Amino acid sequence: MYSLLKPCKTSAAYEAIPREHLNLDLDQSEEILKNVCTIVTNAGILLIVNDRCEVSIHKDGRLILKTDSQEIASDQAGRIAAWLEGTTAIRKHQQGRSSGMTKSDRGR
Amino acid sequence: MEVGILAKLISLISGGIDSPVATYLMIQRGVEIVAVHMDNRPFTDEKNLDKTMSLVRHLQDLTGTPIKTYVVPHGPNHIAFARNCQRHLHCLFCRRMMYRIAERIAQIEGADGILTGESLGQVASQTLQNLMVINRTVKMPIIRPLIGLDKVEIIEIARKIGTYEISTLPGLCCTIVPKKPSTAAKSGDVLCEEQKIDIGTLVEKSLAGMHVFSFETL
Repeated sequence: MYSLLKPCKTSAAYEAIPREHLNLDLDQSEEILKNVCTIVTNAGILLIVNDRCEVSIHKDGRLILKTDSQEIASDQAGRIAAWLEGTTAIRKHQQGRSSGMTKSDRGR
Repeated sequence: MEVGILAKLISLISGGIDSPVATYLMIQRGVEIVAVHMDNRPFTDEKNLDKTMSLVRHLQDLTGTPIKTYVVPHGPNHIAFARNCQRHLHCLFCRRMMYRIAERIAQIEGADGILTGESLGQVASQTLQNLMVINRTVKMPIIRPLIGLDKVEIIEIARKIGTYEISTLPGLCCTIVPKKPSTAAKSGDVLCEEQKIDIGTLVEKSLAGMHVFSFETL
């Protein structure tokens, strides 16, 4: 689900970018994730959970992993992906992130 | 100049580069400072609070003046605005809440105004139009000693006074900032959106959750 893990510009966290364009239902994600990790807050546009590290989950599937350990960040991104993959919380757009398609194209 | 002769100001101080510079400049002008740090967790990390405390300590040592410091929880305010109001105005709601809380602390402390590190056009919330909307939040004078400086000039001062190295330590940027923040907000739109929120209760809860650190406990 995640293809790119890169340090944030401030080096205080890692950012995981989804391989495909995603649209996450954060309320459904919260329902699923509350069984496996701690929900810090659901701000509607952003869900924050705590597991091996604190993670901000954005609606577009992007993760901000609050750790300076790449190993923990990578493992945590994999765990989030495994918990959400195949559930109704996650909707994938048909084309990949690098396709250059417009927003309206992706919505079709 | 003797500190406190000119005025007493509430300095909105973050772990960034600008606000410590603004604070230093005003201390040098003889102003007594009370620092207020708005704690954005969980939308930032604890490193920002650590950096802020280190910066305050550094400014105290540098200037030889004690700086009483308030740390105010701001995360719940972000959540209220994110859930109920237009996304592109979020940074304005955030700053207006900071000013409201700073004004209340100014009343507690008998301070004369609010000091910020804002400089014109540096980020989305600091355009002239947005600063006008922010100004209307409070009745107190707002002092912006960096308003006409560019980032290079501010960094130069920060390096000179030794805050740059602390400000640039790792720390997570605010994760709730919208992708496309408004750069020319209209006062009416902001006021209309804020009516969806019980602002008074948010301010009271923020003040109830604040912590005060004195010179000895920093």
